[in-house]
Amino acid sequence: MGSETTILERIAYAVVAMDEDNSPGLCQQALDEGIAAVNVIDGGLVKGMDRAGQLFEDEEYFIPELLLCSDAMYAGLDVVRPHLPVAAEGEKTRVVIGVVEGDTHDIGKNLVKIMLEAAGFAVEDLGRDVPPERFVDAAVEFNAEFIAMATLMTTTMPAMERVIQILKERGIRERFQVLVGGGPITGAFAKKIGADGTAPNAPAAVALARKLHRSAA
Amino acid sequence: MSTWTPKYRLAQTLGKHKPDRPPVICTGGMMNAAIQDVMSESKIFLPAAHTDAEGMASLALAVQERTGFENIGLPFCMTVEAEALGSQVDLGTFACEPKVVKEQFASIREVSLPDLDLVVNRSRLELIAEASGIAALMRPEVPVIASLTGPVSTAASWVDPIRFLKDLRRDPQGSHEVLEYVTEFLVRYLRLMVRKGKASAIAIGDPTATGEILGPKIFEAFAYPCLERLAQAAHEEGVPLIIHICGDLKSIQAPAAALSGDALSTDSLVSLPHLKEKYPHVITMGNVSTYRLERDQPEQIAAVTRRLVSDGVDIISPACGLSTSTPIANIQAMTLAVKEKDNA
Repeated sequence: MGSETTILERIAYAVVAMDEDNSPGLCQQALDEGIAAVNVIDGGLVKGMDRAGQLFEDEEYFIPELLLCSDAMYAGLDVVRPHLPVAAEGEKTRVVIGVVEGDTHDIGKNLVKIMLEAAGFAVEDLGRDVPPERFVDAAVEFNAEFIAMATLMTTTMPAMERVIQILKERGIRERFQVLVGGGPITGAFAKKIGADGTAPNAPAAVALARKLHRSAA
Repeated sequence: MSTWTPKYRLAQTLGKHKPDRPPVICTGGMMNAAIQDVMSESKIFLPAAHTDAEGMASLALAVQERTGFENIGLPFCMTVEAEALGSQVDLGTFACEPKVVKEQFASIREVSLPDLDLVVNRSRLELIAEASGIAALMRPEVPVIASLTGPVSTAASWVDPIRFLKDLRRDPQGSHEVLEYVTEFLVRYLRLMVRKGKASAIAIGDPTATGEILGPKIFEAFAYPCLERLAQAAHEEGVPLIIHICGDLKSIQAPAAALSGDALSTDSLVSLPHLKEKYPHVITMGNVSTYRLERDQPEQIAAVTRRLVSDGVDIISPACGLSTSTPIANIQAMTLAVKEKDNA
């Protein structure tokens, strides 16, 4: 038990320390020691990413650091993923995510995607400059529970409301939880356009998705 | 006749001399005011005017006339720089502003630095300078503000932005070299806009260089020296420099206030009176919420604007990029609220 904790700690530390070079080797070592793939992810990689998220909230880390932590996490994940039970992917809560039409700033969106994936969500990334219809079509197609939209610009905020309108027009608003986020988005705005919630940053977005998922279940 | 022409008022304000009242301006570039209403009324349309010097000048004049902003702001997008450097740009539509479709390079390591003369000559820069020169000639009493995309944002539109942000840490040396090159390119563009474009002020909008994205250490190490270089270049040309910083200024307040720019423009979530209280030497600019400008009624916009004036904000301006569907009545309410005592 003691050695399991140590190797998982080292994996978590490699993620926090942005150590993309060592994270895959440590993950392989953990697997070789007989630790279950799920535990390597949850107890090592995700734990490291959670800590990185905490440092981000504490303003010790900023976007470049968080991106490098996620690189270290993904490098480890590549090693561990083939060892996961096949069924695991199918059971995940599904999210479609994208930056709304007119906006090509996708840094925040990418962070939320990374943190959601780390937290065990299956994320379909629609990229940036996504037209409102595309969000709706993709959510239906992907059988998503969440539609997550981001924008950094005040000018493109109305596109978020448009997505909700289309959902209503098609009579499928209740099938999805709509999350909105990005620099200019406030709780008041989210409420006004009828979204289910907003969060000020990526770790908070994950907490929100977890909370909404539980309350919906 | 008043000596307080818009040009004189802005120059006095930026020179830290007290004006009769604050100027109300919109810099162009990131803060483009060529909204759909102005285009429909003036029958001069984007995207055509992005590539036609006379059209661009006419539209800039129409914007100034119809909105009441006390400047001419050029160009109408923030893709000129990345396009000149070699990224792929989509000039957008009537309703949608231009954007970078594909950055030229995938990482800092791949960047090759082209001859600066070639870059300046092969691009729309000359056309914009020509448009600016025409507008300046037509309205000698109105300042022309040339709006440049800042060095960090330009670099992050030339190199894949996510990779660029990572490379700031992974390849600091290479990142510095690319940023220095981009800054020298912007210095050339700045000079062109002053000498040929007759710009009387320069504005820099650098939306990637925020405290929230970069954090204070990277901002100070990478963004700050580039912005200082641009301020120095503007001053060498004899024009003032306005620096707009997006987002919450909090984590980079001190370095932002220490910049040698002549005014600091911020997003609507920053309290400009507090900023002024803490850094009395800073000429503050802003920060009417562009979300409100699009959504609220003219009376509400006027109230918000009056509040900024009575709070002592030095230059009144939108807080961020305007939506092209912003109603012109709201912008007029904003500019009139600043000018309402002019004839009292």
